[in-house]
Amino acid sequence: MSDSELGYGSSFTVDSVKVIAESVGIGNLVDDAAKELADDVSYRLKIIVQDAMKFMQHSKRQKLSITDIDHALKVQNIEPQYGFIQPDSLPFRFASGGGRELHFIEEKDIDLSEILSAPPPKIPLDVSLRAHWLSVDGVQPTVPENPPPLSKEAQKLESVDPITKLSKPANKDAAGKPVCGKAARLKASESVHVKQLATHELSVEQQLYYKEITEACVGSDEGRRAEALQSLACDPGLHEMLPRMCTFISEGVKVNVVQNNLALLIYLMRMVKAMLDNQSLYLEKYLHELIPSVSTCIVARQLCMRPEVDNHWALRDFAARLMAQICKTFNTSTNNLQTRVTRLFSKALQCPSQTNNESGPSMVPSMKESEKTPLASLYGAVQGLAELGPEVVKVFILSRVRWLGERVEGALSGIGGADRLAAGNLKHQLLKVLAPVVRAHRQPPDLPDDYKREYGYLGPSLQQMVSKLRSSPTGGNAGGAVAVVTCTPPLLPSPSPAPGPSLAPAPAPAPSPSPASVTIQHTSQAHAKTIESVASRNVVITSSAPQSPAPSTPPPQKFVIVSSQQKNQVFTNTQPASSAGHIVMHSSQPTIVRSQNAPVSVVAKPVFARSGSAQQPPPELDDLSHLA
Amino acid sequence: MGDKSTPLLAVLQLLRKYNLKGTEDILRKEANLGDVEYENLDLPEVELANILTAHHTESDPYSYEFAYDSLKKFVENSLDVYKYELSTLLYPVFVHMYLILILYDHNEHAIKILEKFGPEQDEYYQDDLKRLCAVKNKDQVKGNELAEIYSSNKFQVQLSRDASTQLKRYLHEQKSSPIIINIIKNHIQIDVCDGPGRSHAQVKSTLGGLLGEASRNENRTKVYYGLLKEPDLQILPAQIEDEEEAEETPDKPKKKKAKKDNIFMKKPKSDPNAPPNDRIPLPDLKENDKVEKGKALREAAKRVQLGPECLPSICFYTLLNSGHTAICADICDDSTLLAVGFNNSTIKVWTLTTVRLRGMKSADKLQDIDREAVRLWSLQCWTCIVVYRGHVWPVWDTRWSPHGHYFASGGHDRIARLWATDHHQPLRIFAGHLSDIDCIQFHPNSNYIATGSSDRTVRLWDCLTGTQVRIMTGHRSTPFTLAFSACGRWLASGGGAGEIQIWDLSSGLPSAAIPPASNSPIHALAFSRDGTILASGSLDSTIKLWDFAIISDENINEENGNAAPTQKEDKFLLRSYATKNSPIKSLHFTRRNLLLAVGSYDGSV
Repeated sequence: MSDSELGYGSSFTVDSVKVIAESVGIGNLVDDAAKELADDVSYRLKIIVQDAMKFMQHSKRQKLSITDIDHALKVQNIEPQYGFIQPDSLPFRFASGGGRELHFIEEKDIDLSEILSAPPPKIPLDVSLRAHWLSVDGVQPTVPENPPPLSKEAQKLESVDPITKLSKPANKDAAGKPVCGKAARLKASESVHVKQLATHELSVEQQLYYKEITEACVGSDEGRRAEALQSLACDPGLHEMLPRMCTFISEGVKVNVVQNNLALLIYLMRMVKAMLDNQSLYLEKYLHELIPSVSTCIVARQLCMRPEVDNHWALRDFAARLMAQICKTFNTSTNNLQTRVTRLFSKALQCPSQTNNESGPSMVPSMKESEKTPLASLYGAVQGLAELGPEVVKVFILSRVRWLGERVEGALSGIGGADRLAAGNLKHQLLKVLAPVVRAHRQPPDLPDDYKREYGYLGPSLQQMVSKLRSSPTGGNAGGAVAVVTCTPPLLPSPSPAPGPSLAPAPAPAPSPSPASVTIQHTSQAHAKTIESVASRNVVITSSAPQSPAPSTPPPQKFVIVSSQQKNQVFTNTQPASSAGHIVMHSSQPTIVRSQNAPVSVVAKPVFARSGSAQQPPPELDDLSHLA
Repeated sequence: MGDKSTPLLAVLQLLRKYNLKGTEDILRKEANLGDVEYENLDLPEVELANILTAHHTESDPYSYEFAYDSLKKFVENSLDVYKYELSTLLYPVFVHMYLILILYDHNEHAIKILEKFGPEQDEYYQDDLKRLCAVKNKDQVKGNELAEIYSSNKFQVQLSRDASTQLKRYLHEQKSSPIIINIIKNHIQIDVCDGPGRSHAQVKSTLGGLLGEASRNENRTKVYYGLLKEPDLQILPAQIEDEEEAEETPDKPKKKKAKKDNIFMKKPKSDPNAPPNDRIPLPDLKENDKVEKGKALREAAKRVQLGPECLPSICFYTLLNSGHTAICADICDDSTLLAVGFNNSTIKVWTLTTVRLRGMKSADKLQDIDREAVRLWSLQCWTCIVVYRGHVWPVWDTRWSPHGHYFASGGHDRIARLWATDHHQPLRIFAGHLSDIDCIQFHPNSNYIATGSSDRTVRLWDCLTGTQVRIMTGHRSTPFTLAFSACGRWLASGGGAGEIQIWDLSSGLPSAAIPPASNSPIHALAFSRDGTILASGSLDSTIKLWDFAIISDENINEENGNAAPTQKEDKFLLRSYATKNSPIKSLHFTRRNLLLAVGSYDGSV
């Protein structure tokens, strides 16, 4: 109604006419004349636009174009306005001053010589014709030429307001399976009014697809996995399988965390990544399954068989990035996703003594070792928070840096290779994350003593890092914020099996794998000044031979993850380590965990049934269980 | 002649009319009017009444508002039986009040009344009101298309006898303020019909025309909507075809044969509603045409029977890189050629089969939006053969007769023309539409032409006599596409607001209205060859299939009861297919009932 009222009244104002008059050099237009002109011009313009609309409608468009106006002018026997060609609408600029407001079109000066010297524009592509099947016997095939069967908006609506699905009669808009067989006959006779249940049947093709995809994603063939992930990330029309996919992932994570099967966890996270990347899927309905899985992969106590050698850090980094992506995509004011995720991580970082005593150095040693949050979880929590942005880092990590420093210090000075490695990684990560924040936060000069006082153990290293950052003003990269490990496809094993320099100093406890199954890849070089800070993170998975000397030898057909790490001196050096690593995985066996007997199927039953003897799921899973 | 003297002249004319010589002389003397002006006293009756009426109330423009309010109250308080019929009076009264106020320089009051009562008019009138409100003073009324339509034509309103008695009683009570009486007298044609008052739905179904409803008398002519008798063809090649078929599908040849027999059996039956074959002269079939016909029949024998259980396959042709340049598209009857018209006045023709384009012997079937001329293109030598001039303004649509030889065009000049290939002048001129003719379609028996116009009417013209035989109102927006059903009895029209109307040509009444699914206009309609499915394509990039069997069945059943047309959409809708941002330009059922659709991909959305 307000629209139509607006429509009745619109016309040129006297002011507009005066401004236009000024612009053509008539300075002293009388009010009455302006009024007359305004009325007349409004009328004539309206007539022209009304005529132009006819041309627009016959051109089967809903947007008025300049050619329509030209045609309308021609119909009225008026010379059209030549020289106005604009493919898109021109934005009006606004200016005010001297009590007058003005909307005008900006006219730019064009340098002709520039146009002349510029390469000629591309010739527009010729119109071409392409045929595809929109429907075959009434069913719309899900080929890329057709839109996804259920649009993202519809999926969103359904997840926000499930009632709409039920109230929609027979869901005719979704061009899925035609009503056929018994249901159709019932409907046709209209004698029985059966309320349609929301069906969750998958067609045979979908069942096959599900089977293929899940097998390929966790299988041994890297090529097939890449294809499967590509399909997950690009294909439309997967929404019907989403519930099963998500259950597959969440159950898979639960089982494999208990089994410490790092490779499978990585595969599952890559599936999550692919699904998040799919433009036609709306995942919000399944976040209650995905978020616990992802957060498990970030902060779990143990993700691999031998924490001292396996590179589970890469998985934590990758999962943290996934979590940030989830938060960014799905955070709304109603689900408060980011707040909840942040709370989850900050809880892991919670200094146990914080509630009682602010200065906790005396408390820490007195605590039992088992009560402490493991360093690996701390690392994950830091990484998870860091991905959420500098503000989060400032509030949640910087305030706890003193306590974290103590933990690192304690672990580094203590015994136990795994702890020292973890502490080193944690310290490195903390420095990397904190330095840019501190740099933005603090004013120079950076005095080591101040830092020491304020940040405790990590102070001096932080100070060096910050001053380094300050000295390289453009160096966004110098902060070491470059992604360290990428697990995203395509990850192809580098063909050369020869051990490179980065593998040579492989730590002693690692089993020496059979050369044929080892692949390695390059590590990127860091800054030239201090080469010793190259930290290579290689995850090499071999189908280890039974004679593997690892102490907790897993059953054959399992993965062993080998990582080569350079320790200690990496972290004492302030030179940021830009290390790149690829994860390369090889296996000769399908990777479904064997100890479970649940068949691989596509029924609603989860693929990975949790065995009775399995340990409790990691405590991290519980934090978000209320999402379910 | 000054404006002020116009009322005086009107009074003089009135005095002369009643032969009051004395008074006339005195007035002439007093007003100092010259002889010249006096001699030229020939104001039209309508204007005269208008002037005098306005003069009477000129002093009190406020009374208009009260008058309208009182009319509204009268309508609201009347019995339900009359209410809906009487409510159709409100809009024309309102429009003419506005125009009269403008004519007598009460511009502020006119705008005030527009703003007060405009929004409460039916929504399908809102577009007209917006166009009308551009008129803001007296001078503009004369040049304005819409205002002229309103003032030079009478608005049609249908009332039952009882309702009109009610109205007369009301008007009698209103003697003191003659505004409404005068408007109704001068600008509204009340069509009184016997029988009970119509229900809300019945009234609604025919409302929406620019000038109200069609009067019943206009639709009394008999329309021969049946199909022509097909000429007998020797179907020699059919035998060969049979063998081929047997080879193709050896498992069920019997069924096929039965079907085919059925199709050939049907033909000799003569339809009582069909016009005689020689009602309009049709060209004799040449040997070539006979071969073509035979081919068509054999193709038709392979036709898939469609129905709600058996939906057609759709092959979608997407025009890539066309942007907004592709305007219209058409596929020829034997589904071998696709022509697309572009906004730079070029036509591109694609072949849809593997046959090369050159050397095709085919009917020249092309259409293009061309300015002020219709061109005939030959597909044999790929040149423009004839330019038919006659239209003064842009031509919006052209269409071939199904039997060839004739074609029809209609456009901005509100006139539809019938042409034949051997004359450079139009054979018939169909005038009567009040606004642009936006779409035109030949009846399958070539005897009639349907036109849809921006005045929101669909009209049917007889090619033989050149007269209008049906005027169908009920569209709420401009119809942009028309399609005759395969049997020739039904006409479907798709409107600019996305609604589809089905008309029964035997009565001229709307038989079904499919409400819009979205606001986008329908740009293509096609009936399946067996008449069971209606396909519609719209600007919102969807193709929808409707169950036409239900629509037509219902109407035949309802004929006796004269019930209101049904409005249930989901009952008719079979399925909706979305494309990827490709608004539909054209739809075409092949002879085997495969649906071909053409759309141009619009990447910018």
